[in-house]
Amino acid sequence: MASPVSVYNSNVLDAHISSTSRESLKMELLADVTLLPGEERIIDKDIIYICPFSGAVKGKVLITNYRLYFKSSDADVAVTLDVPLGTISRVEKMGGVSSRGENSYGLDITCKDMRNLRFALKQEGHSRRDIFELLFKHAFPISHGLPLFAYVTQEKYEENGWSVYRPVEELRRQNYELCDTYPAVLAVPFKCKEEDLRRVASFRSRGRIPVLSWIHRENRAAIARCSQPLVGMSGKRNKDDERYLDLIRDANDTAKLTIYDARPNVNAVANKATGGGYEGDEYHNAELVFLDIHNIHVMRESLKKLKDIVYPNVEESHWLSSLESTHWLEHIKLVLSGAIQVADKVSSGNSVVVHCSDGWDRTAQLTSLAMLMLDSHYRTLKGLQVLIEKEWISFGHKFTSRIGHGDKNHADQDRSPIFVQFMDCVWQMSKQFPTAFEFNERLLLTILEHLYSCRFGTFLYNCESAREQNALRQKTVSLWSLVNSKTDVYLNPFYTPESGRVLYPVASMRHLELWVTYYIRWNPRIRQQQSPVEQRYLELLALRDEYIKKLEELRLSDSSRLADDSPGADTSSPSPASSPTRQRHYTHLHTPF
Amino acid sequence: MEFSEHIKTANVEDVVLQQPLHPPSKGTLCITSHHLLFSDREEDSGRQVLLLLRNIDAVEKSSVENLVNYFGLFPNAGRSDRATESSGTLVIKCKDLRVLQLEIPGMEQCLNIAQSIETLSCLACVAEMYPFFYRPSNASLRDQWGLSTPERHYTEMEALHERWRLSTVNQDYSVCPSYPPAVIVPKAIGDDALKMAAKFRQGGRFPVLCYYHRKNGMVILRSSQPLTGANRKRCIQDELLLQAAIEGSDKGYIIDTRSAQQAQQARMMGGGFESKSCYSSWKRLHRHMERGKTLQESLIKLVEACGDKSPNMDRWLSKLENSKWLSHVQTALSTAGLLAECVERDGRSVLVHGSEGTGSTLLISTLAQLIMDPSCRTLEGFLTLLEREFVQECPVFLLLLDCVWQLWYQFPLALGFSEALLLRLATEAYSSDYGTFLCNSDMERCALQVKGKTHCLFRVLLKPREREQYTNPLYEPNELAIWPSVHPQSLQLWRGFFLRWTQQTLHLELVQEDIRNMVIEWGKLALS
Repeated sequence: MASPVSVYNSNVLDAHISSTSRESLKMELLADVTLLPGEERIIDKDIIYICPFSGAVKGKVLITNYRLYFKSSDADVAVTLDVPLGTISRVEKMGGVSSRGENSYGLDITCKDMRNLRFALKQEGHSRRDIFELLFKHAFPISHGLPLFAYVTQEKYEENGWSVYRPVEELRRQNYELCDTYPAVLAVPFKCKEEDLRRVASFRSRGRIPVLSWIHRENRAAIARCSQPLVGMSGKRNKDDERYLDLIRDANDTAKLTIYDARPNVNAVANKATGGGYEGDEYHNAELVFLDIHNIHVMRESLKKLKDIVYPNVEESHWLSSLESTHWLEHIKLVLSGAIQVADKVSSGNSVVVHCSDGWDRTAQLTSLAMLMLDSHYRTLKGLQVLIEKEWISFGHKFTSRIGHGDKNHADQDRSPIFVQFMDCVWQMSKQFPTAFEFNERLLLTILEHLYSCRFGTFLYNCESAREQNALRQKTVSLWSLVNSKTDVYLNPFYTPESGRVLYPVASMRHLELWVTYYIRWNPRIRQQQSPVEQRYLELLALRDEYIKKLEELRLSDSSRLADDSPGADTSSPSPASSPTRQRHYTHLHTPF
Repeated sequence: MEFSEHIKTANVEDVVLQQPLHPPSKGTLCITSHHLLFSDREEDSGRQVLLLLRNIDAVEKSSVENLVNYFGLFPNAGRSDRATESSGTLVIKCKDLRVLQLEIPGMEQCLNIAQSIETLSCLACVAEMYPFFYRPSNASLRDQWGLSTPERHYTEMEALHERWRLSTVNQDYSVCPSYPPAVIVPKAIGDDALKMAAKFRQGGRFPVLCYYHRKNGMVILRSSQPLTGANRKRCIQDELLLQAAIEGSDKGYIIDTRSAQQAQQARMMGGGFESKSCYSSWKRLHRHMERGKTLQESLIKLVEACGDKSPNMDRWLSKLENSKWLSHVQTALSTAGLLAECVERDGRSVLVHGSEGTGSTLLISTLAQLIMDPSCRTLEGFLTLLEREFVQECPVFLLLLDCVWQLWYQFPLALGFSEALLLRLATEAYSSDYGTFLCNSDMERCALQVKGKTHCLFRVLLKPREREQYTNPLYEPNELAIWPSVHPQSLQLWRGFFLRWTQQTLHLELVQEDIRNMVIEWGKLALS
């Protein structure tokens, strides 16, 4: 049932627990925590949570090897916190034994997910020493030689998320006869001698040569991604690299290849000083376009500014201009409009190459968003999983460095919310096209929760080789196992598949919105009650399924009456799997990458 | 008066029309007494644009003026030739925020058209407006007009009858020209006392009941300011009237939509507020709400920012903030929230007024009813509420619709109607085929026989076909109050209205329609 709870004033947190005496409540306080298989209690303790919305709240905290769990003991203020330790970026001691003032002695915890937590303890008897040390150890297991929880959990799911993305099958889905009609990118490396490829690799930052991300079903235009060329101050050239890019252009016979350099022009120039740079005039038949997207440091600072104006208190008096001064939405705009340009170019039949500096942050954003615009498959529940597995995970977005899984170095300059920004762009698109995505907002929020939680192996490590070394897929569970075992909560009841349609979102500030339900979700006064809406969506999904069932029944009864003479009547069923010969092609085509 | 006097050029051929979301097209332009009609020349497209002249806010004739200057400087430079060859451009800005551009061949014709539009679009005489001429074939003037009456409203609320009565003291509009002929007042107060109280309130708007909260029997009353003046006049009947309204309770609230300082200043002009000493059971709360000119200026700034075509949209958020429109939305919603809180949470009756009691007073009493009363949240209930409270002042009505939209946005399941209805109302309020939004009071409507000579929009909106268009597919009746979040982070620009003529908004409108049809279709088959 819909039950909108007041968000008009501060009474939201009210929850009257009747017929339970305070004493019994206190004893059972932590009894209702359902631990995950493999999760173990480490310590529990009486503590005061300094809630920015309800003030100091007495209760009990439980630390396990997976989470920090707090529950208030005071029935009048029902506060529960359930924070995966992976979310914690920094744990500090607040105040000292001699600190004055109430609740001035305790712990100050900074989280990666737009909130901070403060706890106060009794000042006498070093009461925080044990909890601080244990929390510090288990929040940053990597810094203490401990395994991440993903390696400890014993969770079992019906579905195996690790099988969601199979590179060969994904290529087959695109239904391209790659070796026949798209020889340039995929076949040439075979014809190329090993050393040719190596020469290209030696000219691209960290050896990240141009590889295929996506190819257009009809016009055969391709999206290739790579890192910057190592042009340097002296303006070095590499014939193999030039020829390689020209082969990409030639793949579908277009006159000009467009190279999208995600960076601002000045940054690309500045990169020459450190040996990098961009493609110059020596690349015949190619044009270079800068997309003006800033680097990971700018994005990190921008989101930090945003956090400052939404947590713990929301900026009230000059909200919009404060929001403007964080530039977060402007960055979103630039990323989206860059992706739109890529998608538009490809859709009009021209192949493109996308890179930034190393090709694993902005490049991943651009290629994956462009693919989301171009290919409706990626707008399905499974499709988005494939997209993330492919463009982000397999092509080496450095999740470990960007998120800092299990690492205590909270000030690490490599950390940056690039993937969050991508999810934000997906959300913006889903707002602009409410029927075009099979998944709903809940999926995006769940993905972001587990980006940090370390409960699943999905976002661990920087690249495939590290994953192989650490037997990730054998020893951990995939996030997609969780999602695909219970899909209905992640589905959009209004999803209407339109396979050929290219979606161009409007990347204008006037049509972009702050993702309040993500960035300001901890504030009970702002947060909208999602649950009645989600409940209604589930009802509608059920209604839709019922509708489809009835429709199917009608269709069957019709066709049995009408089409008794044609034995293979069911022409609408998907065509059977590809022949084994084709499969063989794909299998070895993939290996060089 | 003859409309034809104002139409020197009724038809022009080869006019090029540019309008949002469409490629330019060439065709014939006609001016009639109430409409601007453009017919596309392409046979197969057959596009027509029919625009009520009333909808036109301003006409700019930039190119024409340049030409006039040019001829002024060179009087002998082949004037007649050029005049026939030249064309003028009219930019027409509509009240529904559409901007049209007409290129009209022949300078004289162009000036004539502009002149006609300027005159006919702002005819002051209500009886000459289009609703008095609109005669659709599928409706009769004998059809029922309006959705409810004060009598029916009273009859429906039986719980009220013990302590409240329906008074016809205003039967001939002599006590209060802007009130309906029947009003609901405390049973204990006689008509003579009402007349006295009316004299003590600006414009005769004495305190009357506008809402009865079934859950706890508390009420909302509204009025205009008391005329205490500089020497603190009193009116014992007014005091008794208010006392009778909270009989059996020790306290009531007065929400004054002016700041305490403004209320003080109003005394110098003969107005004032209810003093603590004379109204000892009432606690006054001042909440400053902007009105009239300030609101209008804010709206203009916002519309300008939204219409800014510059590609980089520099500092859009600052412009949005500077327009202050969203902070007016915030104030309106939070004051309405306060009002609802007094009634629902605190269990007190409340009197609401500002100065005249026709702008912000109606705005917040309407919103508070939507927040508290589930029966106002159906399509019918909402239209009846609008009819009863009747916010007339234009920027205030738009502000009201914007606030309702915010409720709809924050509670996607709670309202039985859709954004499309709010958009329709926003359009009809400015220019309409129907008589519903004409005049400022029942008295004026009566004098002009609006109910006998025009058609009623609200009745039309409730006809089966229209009704289906305006329902909310996600609606779930809900007995609870819906408390809006009024933090600036929770309030959004009403893009559906303010960015209405953009591709993106049009697209979202269509998607909402698709969703509605989808849910209706599922329901029909699945539950069959």
